[in-house]
Amino acid sequence: MAAASATAVAKGNGGGGGRAGDASGTRKKKGPGPLATAYLVIYNVVMTAGWLVIAVGLVRAYLAKGSYHSLYYSIEKPLKFFQTGALLEVGIVPSSVVLTSFQVMSRVFLIWAVTHSVKEVQTEDSVLLFVIAWTITEIIRYSFYTFSLLNHLPYLIKWARYTLFIVLYPMGVSGELLTIYAALPFVRQAGLYSISLPNKYNFSFDYYAFLILIMISYIPIFPQLYFHMIHQRRKVLSHTEEHKKFE
Amino acid sequence: MRHHVEILDAKTREKLCFLDKVEPHATIAEIKNLFTKTQGKSLKDEDVLQKLPVGTTATLYFRDLGAQISWVTVFLTEYAGPLFIYLLFYFRVPFIYGHKYDFTSSRHTVVHLACICHSFHYVKRLLETLFVHRFSHGTMPLRNIFKNCTYYWGFAAWMAYYINHPLYTPPTYGAQQVKLALAIFVICQLGNFSIHMALRDLRPAGSKTRKIPYPTKNPFTWLFLLVSCPNYTYEVGSWIGFAIMTQCLPVALFSLVGFTQMTIWAKGKHRSYLKEFRDYPPLRMPIIPFLL
Repeated sequence: MAAASATAVAKGNGGGGGRAGDASGTRKKKGPGPLATAYLVIYNVVMTAGWLVIAVGLVRAYLAKGSYHSLYYSIEKPLKFFQTGALLEVGIVPSSVVLTSFQVMSRVFLIWAVTHSVKEVQTEDSVLLFVIAWTITEIIRYSFYTFSLLNHLPYLIKWARYTLFIVLYPMGVSGELLTIYAALPFVRQAGLYSISLPNKYNFSFDYYAFLILIMISYIPIFPQLYFHMIHQRRKVLSHTEEHKKFE
Repeated sequence: MRHHVEILDAKTREKLCFLDKVEPHATIAEIKNLFTKTQGKSLKDEDVLQKLPVGTTATLYFRDLGAQISWVTVFLTEYAGPLFIYLLFYFRVPFIYGHKYDFTSSRHTVVHLACICHSFHYVKRLLETLFVHRFSHGTMPLRNIFKNCTYYWGFAAWMAYYINHPLYTPPTYGAQQVKLALAIFVICQLGNFSIHMALRDLRPAGSKTRKIPYPTKNPFTWLFLLVSCPNYTYEVGSWIGFAIMTQCLPVALFSLVGFTQMTIWAKGKHRSYLKEFRDYPPLRMPIIPFLL
């Protein structure tokens, strides 16, 4: 569920008030001021660049090693930096706060609480699976935001954002689930992040059981997010078609 | 010459609004305002047709609120649950702890005390729902009962599990800690009840009037000098007392979540007091004196 960005489209692609004959006035959308716009553009450009660095890092490491195993180590630091940095965008990007924070939190969880914390899974191929999915998704998503803010969005980017998720989303979810699954025996063995009774706080937590609950939660959540994106795709891409007809 | 303006939905051609008394030199912006104003806040049962800001032809908008359930029903259900559930854990009913513990009793005094306090708290709430509170609204959306019960019942089970666990660890500072915590709990329960009574007395039976609450002869109500919603202040205090008494992290977490929610409610209430009453006492904060 963290693979593709589950988001709502920015109405009117940045700007545009009510049109003539639109008496209800509900389609007005206030754009950000010039300073805020500059900040957002810089943020999105930096994030696009960051994920490009990760993409390039993966390709170079693959070419150098001659295999796709254990590529995680070659991009570990920028991955942690840029994915964690995405916490800044909650409430800032044009998508719903709930969906954005949910997605960012689940990504950050996977990076730190699973992959970083359980060293043994870092060599798993499933890690590469979600890293690739995230990388492609984020490069497109941040470019999309950048171009939207500059009011010059190439159709290709819009198309890519609302189409590639069809493959990337399940790919990312598979990578995530397989990684969590791989981590389980090591969590159990080390009693990682777990506390048992008796203790003076009269509290207990079983991280192993928690991870299993997380995996189960993908079952109701992933289809909802996926179909939300499909629905958005229909809305956004058909809307553009209509516009093109009248141009 | 005044105009009649008819506004239709662009997609469905449905008549949305009919505005009469529109001046000929009114701009589209002004007409938009008229349209949205007539769709504004919901009318009250007591409103008189003549006094409404509509023309000679009034258009009333009906909004289906969805399935509703009475406040009393929701309160009784959400409070009866914790009362019952806690006792299941207290009596160590089978399938909760290991079989060798079935129907055994804790050897710690504080565990028995905690059961009395927790049960007293919810019995008090049930009785207040039946005999004290005067509700502004009769009903709330049906889905609230599922949300609320999950919250109350879930937390009750979580707390009760640890407090009544065979491996429960009593408070670090022993009887001193328990005594202090019990005092806080009792004072706050009395305080909370006093506020509920004071609020009830503000409003005659069957009415929905709203007045500024003021301190009465009861010292517990003097907190009205400093906060708008002392009932919430005392409620948070009660749970902090219970958390200290049991030294149980889930209780502390429950207190924190409850505090967050009550702060939101208190701020809302405070804001509506300020809006409704010009002479609202300026010293008062929503929930925590001087701070929040």
